[in-house]
Amino acid sequence: MTIAPKNSGIQTAASNQLNPFQAARELAQQLGHEHLGFVLFFCSAEYRLEELATALDGAFDKVPMSGCTTAGEITPQGYDRGSVVAIGFDRRVFAIETALINDLEHFDLSRAQPLVDSLLERCRQQAVAPVNEHSFVLTLLDGLSSREEQVLATLDAALGRIPSFGGSAGDDNHLAHTHVYANGQFHTRAAVVVMINTRLPFEVFSTHHLEPLAHKLVVTNADRERRRVLELNGLPAAEVYAALVNCHVDALSPSIFAQHPLAVYIGGQHYIRSIQRVNEDASLTFYCAVETGIVLTAMRPAPLLLDLEVMLQRVQQRLGATPTIIGCDCFLRRMALESLQQLDQASSLLRHARVVGFNTYGEQHHGMHVNQTFTGVAFGALPTSGG
Amino acid sequence: MALFQLAADSDTAADDATLREENRRLRKVCQALMERVESGSSPSNAPYAAFERSVLLAEQVRERTDALHRTLDELSQVNARLLAANAEAEAANLSKTKFLAAVSHDLLQPLNAARLFASALETHALPEASQALVGHIGRSLKDVEGLLGTLVDISRLDAGVLHADKAPFAVSTLLDALAEEYRQVAAVRGLTLHYVPSSVVVDSDLALLARVVRNFLSNAVRYTEQGHLLLGCRRRANGLEIMVGDTGPGIPEPQRQAIFLEFRRANQSQSSHSRGLGLGLAIVDRISTMLEHPVTLASQLGYGSLFSVLIPYAAPSTGASSVAYAQKSWPESERWQHNPLQGCVIWVIDDDPAIIEGMQALLGSWGCRVRAAATVSALEAASDGERPAVLLVDYHLGDHRENGIDLAARLRRRYPGLATVVITANHEAALKRATREAGMHCLLKPLKPLRLKMLLGALLESHA
Repeated sequence: MTIAPKNSGIQTAASNQLNPFQAARELAQQLGHEHLGFVLFFCSAEYRLEELATALDGAFDKVPMSGCTTAGEITPQGYDRGSVVAIGFDRRVFAIETALINDLEHFDLSRAQPLVDSLLERCRQQAVAPVNEHSFVLTLLDGLSSREEQVLATLDAALGRIPSFGGSAGDDNHLAHTHVYANGQFHTRAAVVVMINTRLPFEVFSTHHLEPLAHKLVVTNADRERRRVLELNGLPAAEVYAALVNCHVDALSPSIFAQHPLAVYIGGQHYIRSIQRVNEDASLTFYCAVETGIVLTAMRPAPLLLDLEVMLQRVQQRLGATPTIIGCDCFLRRMALESLQQLDQASSLLRHARVVGFNTYGEQHHGMHVNQTFTGVAFGALPTSGG
Repeated sequence: MALFQLAADSDTAADDATLREENRRLRKVCQALMERVESGSSPSNAPYAAFERSVLLAEQVRERTDALHRTLDELSQVNARLLAANAEAEAANLSKTKFLAAVSHDLLQPLNAARLFASALETHALPEASQALVGHIGRSLKDVEGLLGTLVDISRLDAGVLHADKAPFAVSTLLDALAEEYRQVAAVRGLTLHYVPSSVVVDSDLALLARVVRNFLSNAVRYTEQGHLLLGCRRRANGLEIMVGDTGPGIPEPQRQAIFLEFRRANQSQSSHSRGLGLGLAIVDRISTMLEHPVTLASQLGYGSLFSVLIPYAAPSTGASSVAYAQKSWPESERWQHNPLQGCVIWVIDDDPAIIEGMQALLGSWGCRVRAAATVSALEAASDGERPAVLLVDYHLGDHRENGIDLAARLRRRYPGLATVVITANHEAALKRATREAGMHCLLKPLKPLRLKMLLGALLESHA
């Protein structure tokens, strides 16, 4: 399915088969080879996950795997749904080690540091590339756990200067069950840490297409445990937001949230705080941490396609003509594209830039849990001497 | 700032209720902001605070981490260079040790031949002046041999090629001979040796233990100006303590550790007597560590020193058939007045022509009838069908030939009970054990003429 150059060390594949066993078999046929060292996959939450776990385990026979459920997939052909996309890594080019964090509540530095050290040591033993400067971390988190910020901040402290990025697992906008996959099964309220050490040049990036407006909203009452904003500017949050975007409270929907995001302004940068849903009590649930007293800035989308194109071009300039990219794309971006009927154009851009990945319930970049971004890693080609 | 843009529309109808509502919300906003500002300054585990910290610290921490990592990188580079230098030094030291062992070993061969020639020459009828010169040559060679032996020992100990070969033996086997030898050495320097014999059976490596006690005795002789020396044993609960005492100057407390290091002597002022390298106690230290025989030193300035080594008793059940026991009767040299060597046939097999010649001269001077050759067939051709009394065979007969033990075993099938002495420069315990198990005797190069003569005597006596 893919036309990756022989020495890229990465192969990508996708399957639309709804039957988990057929899907797993199709992926294995495309990715299987003697040097396959690791498989990363993103699957629709529609799959019967237990069966899929069994099927993948059987199809890839002992090859370590990690993955998560999605709010939409990015296959080698572009945006898709109800499918599973997978990336195979060649062990001659990649040393990949994973760890599962089961207890997100108690993940502190005293647990994070040994976890990171052990991952680094295991990568080092495979002697694929020097660990320093040649490693990064991919994190996959349960997108409904509400623990992303603390886990990421802790992990980032332990990682030091090792770059990290990732995405929160989705479930096709049902907001019910998101899963991460490690050690042969799917898990909830868990995170997977994937240490990737490679001879390939790579770059971790993050971009968004939003610009600030003049409107400011002060969170006057918030339920931090449930990520809920009860009041903005002293009034019920949903009412204030509805008035801001000029629509009725009952008409608020994810596509409105996608087109009218809010952001916090810290250290000279805007960080999107995406709204997940409107609750009965006119409060707003967010995809990320909120707090009483934070100031939200109304944002306006700039042309998403242009931003995406510029970003992809920049990455290509730095890494060479045809990098492979693993992308964590906020599902609200996808909704925005859908409502603007630009999904096909975006798919074309992603296909040409050789992007695979998934639509997230939040992205992670350098220990920050962010929303409405396109965040990922781009791999260059091996230096020609290596081929 | 459009914070209250939503409320701005109602400004035109600025009635009381609206203003009150506006006021309420402003107070609420103020309160939220104050709460936030105040909580922002205290450490918090709240999720948003974690996010904010990540954002704010990301850049700062990354910069500092980078600086730290640069420092660590530099340190690890320095460390790597140090490790490399250390490895180089160790390699150099190892190669020095190997070189020393090889050189010492190679020097032993010609020295061995020279000693044999000198001993043979002594038996010739020579003018008195020449006789004295030959005597000097012999003693000088003996000194060289002693020094070289010390070097070989220390280099072998350092190279780890010397292994203990422990067996039970009566301590008198060792001490009687040493007492005899050092009584004469002591007499030359005007000292008396007081020896208390013991027949206790101990478990040790005879040759290595001999070096330890010999070094104690040499030191005692070397450093004692007048008075007497003591050689004796004391039964302890956990073993037999062999003690060597002297009435020398004593060793000051601070030096008692240092004298066990290489090239150290306690008292440099008496260097006129000392021809050693200062390696004696270093060797004692290494050997006693290897044998697990603790060494102790007691000393009183102006009165003397007492060196001792503790050896475990042999298990009572061990058989009395070992070669070490058989050697018990060696030092009774008085019995050899009638010279059992006279006229006996001795075969020598060695691939070194100089050794063959030297052996012929030496054994011939003792009255033996010597047949020496490099191979069995050459030997048998020269021997006129005579049955040999003793076979002396070099262990290492060249790279592509059988070794001395195998050759001797082959010969013994033809001459059952042929007394055999395997001569080797290889000090490994395994070889000594192999000869013992084959029922043969083993002598190490450089060959000491007196020891060879005593062993031949004992062998011929027992076969007589």
